[in-house]
Amino acid sequence: MAQQRRAVNAPMLFAGLLALALSLSVTVLAFYGLIGFESAGLDTSLLSDGYFHAVVWFSIKQAALSAGLALLLAWPVARALYYSPRLWGRQGFLSLCVLSFVMPTLILITGLVALLGRQGMISPWLGPDWNLYGLPGILIAHVYLNLPFAVRVQLLQMQHIPDSSWKLAAQLKLGHWQRLRLIEWPALRAGMLQLFGFVFVLCFNSFAVVLALGGGPRATTLEVAIYQALKYDFNIPEALTLAWTQLLIAGGLFVLLNRMGGNQWLGVDSTRQRWTPRPGAVMQQVHRIVYGMAALTLLLPLLALLPGVLQVDLARFDWFAIARPALITLIIATLAGSGALVLAYAMLLPLRFAHIRGRSALALLLDWLSTHALVAPAMVVSVGLYILLLPRLDLDHWGILFVILLNLVLIVPYAVQQLRPRLLQFDHQYDRLVRSLKLGLRARLRIEWPYMRRACVTSFALILLLAMGDVAIFSIFGSSDWTTLPWLIYSYASTYRMGESSVASLLLLLICALVVWLFEHVEKGARDA
Amino acid sequence: MKTVLALCSTLALVISHASQAADLRVYTYDSFVSEWGPGPQLEQAFEARCGCDLEYVAVEDGVSILNRLRIEGDNNKADVILGIDDGLSVDTRATGLIEPHGLETGPLRQELDWQDDSFVPFDFGYFAFIYDSSKIQQPATSLRQLIDSDASVIYQDPRTSTPGQGLMMWVKAVYGDDAPAAWKQLSSHTVTVTKGWWEAYSLFLSGDADYVLSYNTSPAYHVVAEDKTQYRAALFSEGHVAQIELAAITRTSQNKALGRDFLQFLVSPQAQAIIPVTNWMLPVIDGVALPPVFDDLIQPARIGFSAEEAGTSRQQWLREWRSSAAQ
Repeated sequence: MAQQRRAVNAPMLFAGLLALALSLSVTVLAFYGLIGFESAGLDTSLLSDGYFHAVVWFSIKQAALSAGLALLLAWPVARALYYSPRLWGRQGFLSLCVLSFVMPTLILITGLVALLGRQGMISPWLGPDWNLYGLPGILIAHVYLNLPFAVRVQLLQMQHIPDSSWKLAAQLKLGHWQRLRLIEWPALRAGMLQLFGFVFVLCFNSFAVVLALGGGPRATTLEVAIYQALKYDFNIPEALTLAWTQLLIAGGLFVLLNRMGGNQWLGVDSTRQRWTPRPGAVMQQVHRIVYGMAALTLLLPLLALLPGVLQVDLARFDWFAIARPALITLIIATLAGSGALVLAYAMLLPLRFAHIRGRSALALLLDWLSTHALVAPAMVVSVGLYILLLPRLDLDHWGILFVILLNLVLIVPYAVQQLRPRLLQFDHQYDRLVRSLKLGLRARLRIEWPYMRRACVTSFALILLLAMGDVAIFSIFGSSDWTTLPWLIYSYASTYRMGESSVASLLLLLICALVVWLFEHVEKGARDA
Repeated sequence: MKTVLALCSTLALVISHASQAADLRVYTYDSFVSEWGPGPQLEQAFEARCGCDLEYVAVEDGVSILNRLRIEGDNNKADVILGIDDGLSVDTRATGLIEPHGLETGPLRQELDWQDDSFVPFDFGYFAFIYDSSKIQQPATSLRQLIDSDASVIYQDPRTSTPGQGLMMWVKAVYGDDAPAAWKQLSSHTVTVTKGWWEAYSLFLSGDADYVLSYNTSPAYHVVAEDKTQYRAALFSEGHVAQIELAAITRTSQNKALGRDFLQFLVSPQAQAIIPVTNWMLPVIDGVALPPVFDDLIQPARIGFSAEEAGTSRQQWLREWRSSAAQ
């Protein structure tokens, strides 16, 4: 039996470790590149600098508030979506959620300012003391970016509440509060902590939005300091010190929350939900209102983009100039996205084995390793690799491949985050059966696929969009021969062409929307068939 | 899967096709070579003149050109670097990779007072606050007046942007040791401080501030490209700080004579007529035929510091800004 089990696991385990090694080696090589350049050490004098303390404290504060608010506000929306499967435009709303999550900074800032700025459309109703700039602006932007994501994750978790739990609750005549406490919350709890950690890290790394809406140097995050150190001062010891600080804080928090969250226990689950409790008439109305408000909030900054677009003479607009970058963006994102999905799937194999054998410390380590690219500062990773490769390789010609590779590595954690709960649940339910049937790899995958299809498709759409929105990596490795659409947007904006930039932004969003819609449509079609 | 493979191979094919050595390689920044920037026109004009092949290698911005030189050292592939600004000239020279240009700088405009033997200026502009004249009838006439007013202002972060560093020097030049108090005063009516130029400028265009820090040439763009005349630059009596964009030949170049020709071409009337209307900066020589709006731009007196002075005090000034503007 033991022999048999090893025979099945060995190649999969090997593939998983290989995937982990690949992702890890990019980070390690990047740090090696930085440390190796003029053999840079650490700048420890920074640690006793008051400015540094203020920056770290502000980064933590704004990230914690943003993540907390996003999760809290997402909850009623997720509940509304869960309890009312027949809300008008529900599918479209869910697509919009993915879109908001990957919104380019330019669109978000312009949109929010058009709504809530000094001349904003909504501002007159907010009283004379309203000021977007400062902590409110940062929080609004971060909630806008992350609430939709949180809604989707929470909804997915609630959808995994087994029918039997609800039937039991109905038999026991549990009240509203009891159901919330005994059924809904346990389903969300573990995921909530992980989600908090995830959103926290995203906000912790936020930069351009924080500066633009923060109102001044009070609002400085660690990422600003890293950017300054690496780019303007080219002070590698300082950048390294900052990068380690960020790794320690964000990475430490990640481990802590994952430990506290423990393993998710969701019980036996079928792939399709058949039975949802129907709330009372009043609650249904509340859900509808919550849903309507959420949809409006997500839509408004997009609509606020339109006046800018209409100013451009669309007949004279050079559509061809946009078509090529759009195509390149799609190709790069498709390559990075499919690679990342395969890598994430493989990477999760060792983690699953660790869970099956009940080795929780090992599982925690593997978990951290598979999502570490999220907490390693992207700027440090790209610049480190750039420093390492530039003297050794013709990056002017091969840079585009590194745009793909780095995008791939950096989106892996998002795929891992989406696939992990589902895979662990699969193992929990079927692993014994699969093993006792002595199924081979092929047969195993055939059973897994229907169970995983939905998670795979949705996470692919998400990572595809993330890769489509990249400018940070392109700014370092990209070249003008391969201009992508987001890069074009910034090129327009940085040369006075704000109108063209708006048109290109809108086009990027439309393409993203189309991609999401297509995926969800296809997936739904396959599910219904 | 097949499509992915096909895409990969196409990609590889195009990449390998692109790698052919040029006669003159120029490191520059991205927006310079964009389709609407000066790059393509200059390339065409210079190639017609020299019968050679010029190739741009574009990085994100001016600072990235310097950083790339630092990383590559003697192994750099540049014959000419183009787009370092005067604030970076000291650090760039310190890499030891710059060759004296050996050109006559006599024809350059008087106000530049250019004597540097390593770098040749190809365009310049004055930092200036832009306002919408349909909203503000009586703009501030001095930096002190603006800082003492309650007009809302957006500017760029000196830690992450060139205009931000320009304002830092401007305030230092006007206020000297009183700069911290000035920053504190300014922060009371600062709307926000952005990472880069475009965030600030687009916030201003959506009406979120009375003034935005930009260049004295900004109004020219709105007139020439958009036919909008309401955007003006405020002329300040204390004078303005200039940003001068520079080009230089590398010590490691195998083709220094051609590099010198290119620098010479950059300051020729032909190139100088192209740059202002594509890069939206001022020409470095007199007598260039430009759209009439360039004559209407403000012509401030030039103040500021030498590149050496700025280089040694920059960190100190940044700290000063950081602690006073955060109040």
